[in-house]
Parts: sequence; C-alpha cells; structure tokens
Amino acid sequence: MSRWSEGTQERARQIIARYPEKRSAVMPLLYLAMSEEGYLTGDGMEEVGRWCEITPAQVLSVASFYTMYKRERTGQYLVSCCTSITCMLLGGDDVLHAVEDESGVPHGETDDDGLLSVEHVECIGACGGAPAVQINYELIEGVSPEKARQLVRWLKKARPDVVNSDEMQALFGGRTSFDWGISEKSGAIGPYPAFQPLGTVGSEAAD
Amino acid sequence: MSEAKLVTVTINGVESQVPAGELLIKAAQDEGTYIPRFCWHQRMSPVGMCRMCLVEIETPRGPMMVTACTSPVSDGMVVDTESEEVKKAQEAILEFLLANHPLDCPVCDKGGECPLQDQALAYGPGESRFVEIKRSFEKPIPISELVLLDRERCILCALCTRFSEEISGDPLIEFQHRGNTTEVNTFPDLPFSSYFSGNTVQICPVGALTAKPYRFRARPWDLQKVESSSLQDTAHPRIEIHASQNEILRYTGVDNDATNHGWLSDKARFGYEYLRSDQRLTSPLVRRGGELVEVSWTEAIDTAANRLDLIKSEDGGEALAVIGGAQGTNEDAYAISKFARVALGSNNVDARLDDALASHFLSASVDRATIADIDDADTIVVWAPDLKEEHPTLYLRVRRAAQELGATLVVIHPRATGLDDRASHKLTYRPGGGYELLDELANGDHPEVSQAFAAEKVVALVGIASHADGPQLAESVAALVRRKAVHAKLMPLNSRANTYGALDMGLAPDLLPGRVGLDTIGCANLAASWGDIPAVIGRDTRQILQGLDSGEVRGLVLVGADPINDLPEPSIAVDALDAAEYVIAIDLFLNDSNRNADVILPASGFSEKEGTVTNVEGRVQKVNQIRPAPGQARTDWAILDDIATRMGVSLGLASAEGITKEIATVSPAYEDLTWDSLEWDHRDGIVVPIHGAQAINHIPVALQGSKAPTAKLTLHVARVMYDNGVRLQHSPSLHKLGPGAVAHLNPGDAPSIGARDGHTIKVVTTRGEGEFTCVLDEGTPTGVVYVPFNQQGASSLGSDPVVRVTTS
Ligand code: SF4
Ligand code: FES
Ligand code: FES
Repeated sequence: MSRWSEGTQERARQIIARYPEKRSAVMPLLYLAMSEEGYLTGDGMEEVGRWCEITPAQVLSVASFYTMYKRERTGQYLVSCCTSITCMLLGGDDVLHAVEDESGVPHGETDDDGLLSVEHVECIGACGGAPAVQINYELIEGVSPEKARQLVRWLKKARPDVVNSDEMQALFGGRTSFDWGISEKSGAIGPYPAFQPLGTVGSEAAD
Repeated sequence: MSEAKLVTVTINGVESQVPAGELLIKAAQDEGTYIPRFCWHQRMSPVGMCRMCLVEIETPRGPMMVTACTSPVSDGMVVDTESEEVKKAQEAILEFLLANHPLDCPVCDKGGECPLQDQALAYGPGESRFVEIKRSFEKPIPISELVLLDRERCILCALCTRFSEEISGDPLIEFQHRGNTTEVNTFPDLPFSSYFSGNTVQICPVGALTAKPYRFRARPWDLQKVESSSLQDTAHPRIEIHASQNEILRYTGVDNDATNHGWLSDKARFGYEYLRSDQRLTSPLVRRGGELVEVSWTEAIDTAANRLDLIKSEDGGEALAVIGGAQGTNEDAYAISKFARVALGSNNVDARLDDALASHFLSASVDRATIADIDDADTIVVWAPDLKEEHPTLYLRVRRAAQELGATLVVIHPRATGLDDRASHKLTYRPGGGYELLDELANGDHPEVSQAFAAEKVVALVGIASHADGPQLAESVAALVRRKAVHAKLMPLNSRANTYGALDMGLAPDLLPGRVGLDTIGCANLAASWGDIPAVIGRDTRQILQGLDSGEVRGLVLVGADPINDLPEPSIAVDALDAAEYVIAIDLFLNDSNRNADVILPASGFSEKEGTVTNVEGRVQKVNQIRPAPGQARTDWAILDDIATRMGVSLGLASAEGITKEIATVSPAYEDLTWDSLEWDHRDGIVVPIHGAQAINHIPVALQGSKAPTAKLTLHVARVMYDNGVRLQHSPSLHKLGPGAVAHLNPGDAPSIGARDGHTIKVVTTRGEGEFTCVLDEGTPTGVVYVPFNQQGASSLGSDPVVRVTTS
C-alpha cells in the first residue's frame, strides 16, 4: 500500500519501466518522494525502497550523498547562492549575505513560515555569469547584492507558484554567460528541479 | 570440474604456476606471499577500496602500481610486493587510515587480533604527521540487539556492507553521508536485525563492529581455543570455541569449503550462553513423596535401574521406550540405541519428535546430495521449511548458488521465504494443498518449473514446509523430482542438529546403527556385538506417547527432549506425560516435559564432551571439549552405561573414543572412521557412507495425499530461528529476538476480520486457541494465517490447518 498519490504512483511506474533493474530508478524516485512531501522524509525513503526493492538503508546511502536531496523541511523557495571560486571572486559572498540579511534566514536554514530556505552551494556551472543564484534550481546570473535583496522581497510578496529562470533573469539578473537563445516557458513548482517526468514542472501562467 | 588452466607468474623473483584468472592477492597467498589487505575477502567480490594491497607489476612502460585484490593474474606477470615504492605506498595508506582512527586499542575488543593493528605494525610508518583533530562520533551505537558500532574506528573497507548485501541478502547497513563524512550506519530506527549480523563483527578488520555478548569480556590472548562443529545448525558449521576460565565467551566461524565458508547464523554464533546458565541441572534428582530431592549418582542410578528392571520383568521391553538423542553426539546416540535394544530390550526408540520425514528416507544413501552439490547445480528446488529460519547454512549456500553461480532456483512454500528474492520461480500454495500443487507439477501445469527440472544437474532440498500436509508430502515431492529429473540428487531436511547422526546410530524404531534397517539381516549382523535384540519394529515417538497414555508403555527415558514444546501436536505429549507411570529424564535443564519426571539426571552439554556428529549431508565431524560439565553432570553415554550395568547388562561403553571405535566396527556406513582421521587428515569431516555401503536403498515414492481444506482461512505454523526452546530460553541475548506470540495475516484479509496491525486477535483451531498480536504482512498470502512455532507467551494451535480468527 503506497502512501503516494495515484498520480505519483503512476509516474513511479513509468520511471521504473525505463530501467532494466528497479533499483536503478532510485534517484528519480527520490525526487518524486520529495515532490510528494516537499522534502525527503524517512517515510518517503522507505517508500522509495519498496518501489526499488532495496532497503531503506540503501536508499539513505544514495540520498545522503547528494545535497540536492533535502532531508530537512525546505521552504517553498530554495535560494541557492554560489560561493565557489568564480562567484566568490565576483562578490558571491556579498550576494549570500544580502540574501541572508534581507530574508532573515541564515544559510542552511528555513524561515518559520516555510517560505524561504537559504543555502550556499558549490559551483553551479554558471561561472561565466558569476555571481549566480538559483531559486528552486532555476538559474539567475550576474546577480548583485542589491538585486538579490529585490529578489527576496519579490519572492515574499509575489509568491509565484512557478519560478522561471528567464523571467527572474529579466527582473533580477545582470550579465549572463551567453545568450541562452530559446526562452524557457516553464519553471519549477517547488524546491526541487523541474523535470517533466517527475511532474515538478510548472507552466508560466503569465503568457 | 576440469582442471583450471595454469599461468606462470613471478612473485618477488620466484616463478610459480597459478590458476589463470585468479586474483593476484589470492594467487600470491596460495604461493606463500602475503599481501596486506583490509577490504578483500576471499568469499566476497573485490572492491579495491582500501588500497592496502598495492603491489608493483612490470609493464612495457615500466613498473606500475596496482591493487592486487582487483588484478587477475596473467601469463608472464612479474610482481614485486616488497619494492621501495610498494613500501612507501603501504606506509602512506596506513598513515591515511590511522589519521582518523582513534588508536584506542587498549580498550578495544579487537586489540590483539586486529588486522589494522597488526598491519600498522608490520607495514606502517610508525609515526603520523597528522596533528589535526580526528573524527569523533557518539559511541558505541547499538545497530541491533547483538551488534554495537563505534564509527570512529571504522576504516570504510565495506566488508560489513558487502557481506550483508552479497552474502546474507539483508543490506540493512550501508555507507551513509558519503564524502568527507562517510560512516557505516543503518536507516534511522531500522536496526541491523539480520540473522547473520555476527559475521560482520568477525570480519570487520578493526573494532568498529563488536558483539554485545562478548564486548569487554576478554582479551584475545587470554582465550583458550578449540575447533568444533556447531550443533545449532543442521549443516554443522565449523566453529572455534573460545573460552576463558572454563567459561565460553564466543564462537567464531571457521572458513571451510565443505559447509559454512566461515559464516555462522547468529543463533550458531551466540548460542552458548545457556551452557553457563545457573539453571543448569548439576546433581541427580529423585522424586520422593512428590518432591524432587538431590541424591547421589549411585542412588539415582539404582532407583532408575530398579524400576526399569521391574517393568521389563513384568511386561517386557515393549513397555519401555526412549525419546530423544538428536541434540547430542553420535556416541551418545549410539549409547541410547544400544541401551534401548540391549538393556531395555526394546525398539521403542525415536530421536524424531513426530515432525520428521520417514526414517528410511532421511537415512537413505541413494542419490543423496552433499552441500557442495548445491554449488554445482543447474537447478535447485527448495520445497521445504524456510531455509533462512531453519537451515541457515544451507540458506547461504543456496542463495550464493542462485546469485553468484547461476543456478535456477525454484522455491515452493506456503508463504514468503528468505530466498524469494533470488528465486527464478516461486510457487505458493495453501497449507494442506501441497498435493494439489504436486499434481499440477506432475501434469506440467507450470511449464517454467518443468523446464527447470529438465536441467542436467538438479538438486532438491525437501522437507516439511507445512505440517498441514504431513511428512509424506516431502517424499512425494522427491519422487516427482526424480521422475522429472532422473539424476536429481536429494537432500531430505529435518530440524534438530544431529538428527542425521542419531538416525545413523539407529535412533528410530525401524533402524539399526550404520544406516541399516531393522530386519532379520540387520539384527543378525549386529548379534555378534549386541547379542540378541528384539526384531519387531518398535514404536515411533507418537506411538510411544500414545502407549504411555494408554498404559501399554509404562516407562519412558527422555534424553534431551521436550516433546511438549516440540511436537506439532503438543496435546499428545501433554496427555502422555501426565499419564506416564515412570519417567527418567537425562537433560541439561528442567523443561515442561521432564519437570514431573521421577528421576532427573544432569547431562553434560556441547563443548563439555568430545565426540562425533553427522550433518544433513552425512558429513561426520569431530566436536571437542573445552570446559568441564557443571557440578556432577555426566555424558549421556556414561549415564546409560551405568543404568544398564545396574540392570545387570553390560553395554561395555568405556570412553567416547571407544564408542566411536565400536561404531566403526558394527556399522558399515561408519567403517574405518576414527578420531585421528577427523582430527588430522579430515578437519572438515568425512561424508558417510565411507565405502559406498548403501545399506538403506530407500527410493521415495509418491503417496496419495489430502485435498486442501476448503476453510476460508488456513493455518500455517512454522519454526523460526529464535523460538522458546529450552536452550534459547537460557540464552538471554538470543531469546529476546524471537517474534513472540504473533499471527500474520495478509492485509487483504484484515478488513473482513476486523484485524488491525499490532492489535490482538484470537486464533482458534480444533486443537487449541490463543491470543496473538496481529501482523499484517504481504508475504502471507490471502486465506492464510501464519503463526511462528513455539514462541514465548504463545499458546499452541496444533497442526490442523482449519482456523478461525476473531478480534476478541
Ligand atoms: S565497520 Fe568494519 S567492516 Fe564495516 S566498513 Fe567499517 S571497518 Fe569495514
Ligand atoms: S563558481 Fe559559481 S557558478 Fe561556477
Ligand atoms: S585489499 Fe585491495 S584495495 Fe583493499
């Protein structure tokens, strides 16, 4: 008996069907488990273990290696500020401090309302557009401390259901690595990456 | 198997021939060069994690450093295990490993037998440049009821995690928080409750995993050691007994190809606490005026012998009987057999407790599978009790065959078993419906199984999967397997560790020592040493008990047996022992069956006597003594010899070794077997019959069976590893691990009954009823109620499969 919604279960079946061995599906299913409860709970990991026919200890072994599997309650918006070398040289730490200060949430923590989680992360592959920030893994490049404050205020006020990289880049970003070309219409609906098969993609209502 | 191809390798300048494809670390070891290692284990796949085994091999581009545990040998390979570069590497690795290691050897169980300690001394730099702060953890954390973990000692070799995944199949421990913070751990609140957890303690190369029952109890160099074979497992895994000041402190597994590969179930590993229990019987007791009083051996023997003699003179040997003998040595069993036949003049003797296959089937030498045959099999059929619960060594062997050696595994059982995840085909049937499934199989209704039977090498492990089907089903299964696969080898299974030895010594109403049937020829052959013995087949355990109830059997000798708790239908034993005129018990403890006996004689137990034992495949091994028996306890054979002498019959049993010699003389299957050969040339034992003597030519035949009951719910009662048997009752570390009074139901059946997980339900059969905690479990099919046998606080339900379940 699964504790997941029928929709999630259907996705789990589809994901598992893609692999020759059930256990290979453990990573996407961990995201599914996160999307069910907002973060990865013990029950969620046990459920993944049942689907993949591995023990919860084996699930945890995978989940505890990757920082993107959040095993603690995470806010609706996960603000990830890069402080690796390139971003650091271009003021990434100042951006992080601005976010912490504006939101009142120290990195590694979540506010009481469950709205914002702040973390600093290692290189997110946007060095050309440093300093970089992600909201629910949607990227914004060339962020200044001031823009970062605006970003936090906007999240608190507008509380968009879906966050979209292009939209936030236009509002709060600066210089980008390069022109990404195609604009992305959809975005993430929670503190996990937007993946079509996981159902964590939201479409922008605006256009 | 064909001889493996050999290749030439040069190790440290010495050329040798080694099997092609062998891992360098193993090949070097076999040639006498030890390459230090932590993460490599010869029974597990290599991972190359610790880097301790670095050696240099010559390549066209000059010497190259490789890990010997992941490099197969190749022809012409030139290896240096002692070069300056290798030494530098070894020192570096040890310096790294010790960077975070607490070096708390003086307070660590492993100190003195620790591979890290030993190899740091032999290959380490002696000094560390690491001055920073070491990792520290809360310590120790219990990861199960039996195993404690001190994470800061761990060197992350993954032996424990690989064991639990590859060997025992219950990976409840894994590396967590990999990276800088890697540690071994369980899932929160989900303990490492594996039946094989103790093996990780033994193979952990540091003191990170320790066993609760042993922790802080000894230093390895203070231990006295002797090799023996465990009697807590029907395969008789080889063990080393470690004792200090006459107290057994632990058993460790001994690696041998024949049986256990070094592994032990936790029951076999920790099942020694009962031996030092203060509840052991230590002096002879005789009932006087309703009370048991301590008496001298002379008086006790005198009392027992007089009464047996009296009954014998009044009603003959048929009025006397012996039950038991399946838990001791072959020498004890032989003594019981001879005592019954010669002193009592009775064939009423049985080591089985009404829960076993036919004696001739269990003792047949024809097409008998050995444990090693499991490795070679193309198809393995297991229609038997859950091996994981009752035959743990066989479980590991079958698991490995299916997982590593490519065997097709067919498992047939009324519910989920420990092997299901490795089974190619699993068939489930309702308890009592075994014969219907057998018919289907005979008709080829399960083509995938028929196909599996068509393989060349088929091994079938057959036993009583459910008492609802009775013991004949297993024989019919064997007959079917032989019909489908003419060359199939059979392994008939039975619980109680030395049943096979006992039957080989004639502890069945229709058997004589040496796999000889009780018939005129058998009796005539034995006459030279035993004199005249009764030629009529005696009573089996059930008939003995019925005879006691009716008064036809007047006197009973119980040897290490507790029929009230061990019989599938305990009421028979309860009534019989209530009605029994005279009962003499020889045992380690008082139990429900002997509590009211007239004479109770204290017996020595495992590790308190020497002798031989015979396992499930007919392998005879030596068991050894390391401690004296407590108080005045004596061996079964010595007690019986004294009683016989007092009855005026000389059994001529003077020493255990003397009995082994006598066995070798009188029993064809055991001819030539000596202690010397078992102690020196055949430490892993010898499979009998030695000279192919096939005294019992029993060929299983298909028998007609019953139909599955049509009741809505059927009862499946099965033994589990930890029950309420008297030895476990006095082994505190293990006793609490039993499931207790639980009844499993399929979640689908719960709503109609109104049963909820964890709530109390009432289970009623024609033979008994009781309250059980309900466990909802997908492994139990709908329509089946599964109740573990003989649990603390559980009432007995008997073996009638018709069952009713209510919520109050
Ligand atoms: S606990 Fe022991 S066996 Fe397990 S990884 Fe650590 S050192 Fe190896
Ligand atoms: S360092 Fe920040 S994105 Fe690479
Ligand atoms: S023994 Fe070879 S790497 Fe560990």
